[in-house]
Amino acid sequence: MFLINCPFCGERDQSEFSSGGEAHIVRPKQPTELSDDEWAEYLFMRKNIKGIQFERWNHVHGCRKWFNVVRDTSNDKILSVYKMGEKPPVNYK
Amino acid sequence: MLDILHPNISNINKNNIDINLSEEKIKINIRGKNKEFFTKVGKILSIILPSESNTSSSNENYDVLWLSPDEWMVYFDENKNSNIFDQLYKDISSLKFGSITDISSQLICINIKGENIFELLSSGSPFNFEKFKNNVGSSTQTIVNHIDVILHHKSKNNVNLFVRRSFSEHLYEWLVDSSNFV
Repeated sequence: MFLINCPFCGERDQSEFSSGGEAHIVRPKQPTELSDDEWAEYLFMRKNIKGIQFERWNHVHGCRKWFNVVRDTSNDKILSVYKMGEKPPVNYK
Repeated sequence: MLDILHPNISNINKNNIDINLSEEKIKINIRGKNKEFFTKVGKILSIILPSESNTSSSNENYDVLWLSPDEWMVYFDENKNSNIFDQLYKDISSLKFGSITDISSQLICINIKGENIFELLSSGSPFNFEKFKNNVGSSTQTIVNHIDVILHHKSKNNVNLFVRRSFSEHLYEWLVDSSNFV
């Protein structure tokens, strides 16, 4: 269990949130032009890093807003939280 | 067994905790973010919507709770201004300035009063009540006994808890049962 600092509500317990998987995956502009492998790559393939990962989270039992989180998966430490549409912090890239 | 159709008969007092199931409130969910929306709501309710998270605004007629940056819940006694929903809907929803939804039937209001209410709520919630209990007017959405709730610190040691109707009986019984152990 860990605490997540919702950019709208403040610090809350992890149990109030739902993980939405990897962040910053861009939908292809012309899906019809992709091969099956390329489409599957976009749709299903996700990184599973031990270390710093960019993720989407939803405050599902609170304000119900989506936001982005930079999390170290090796120790569950939240390094940064930023709103949807904002640029990811450069120091973790 | 709780009689959900006749909620006002359910009044329990244990360990300085008074739990009263009260359904006689109108609840309206309002959503919007443009200038016209804020102007219309302010004019109709004579209240400024709270912009700070986990807070509320009140006047003699209405309580408005912050739910998210573009969502609020207004609640008031059933006998007051019964046409306020129609007025809000006509001036906001119909003109597409925002969204107005009557959620009176969706949510049940459980009033909890007494010195030990925050110990009771803390026993089933991951929410940190330290700041909440010291600030009258605070509001929050969290989970109590794994159930989504909206909490409003109405006055000192007096909290209105809003819960979905289908969960209300189970949560009410949990509150009554848990009040034996705080």
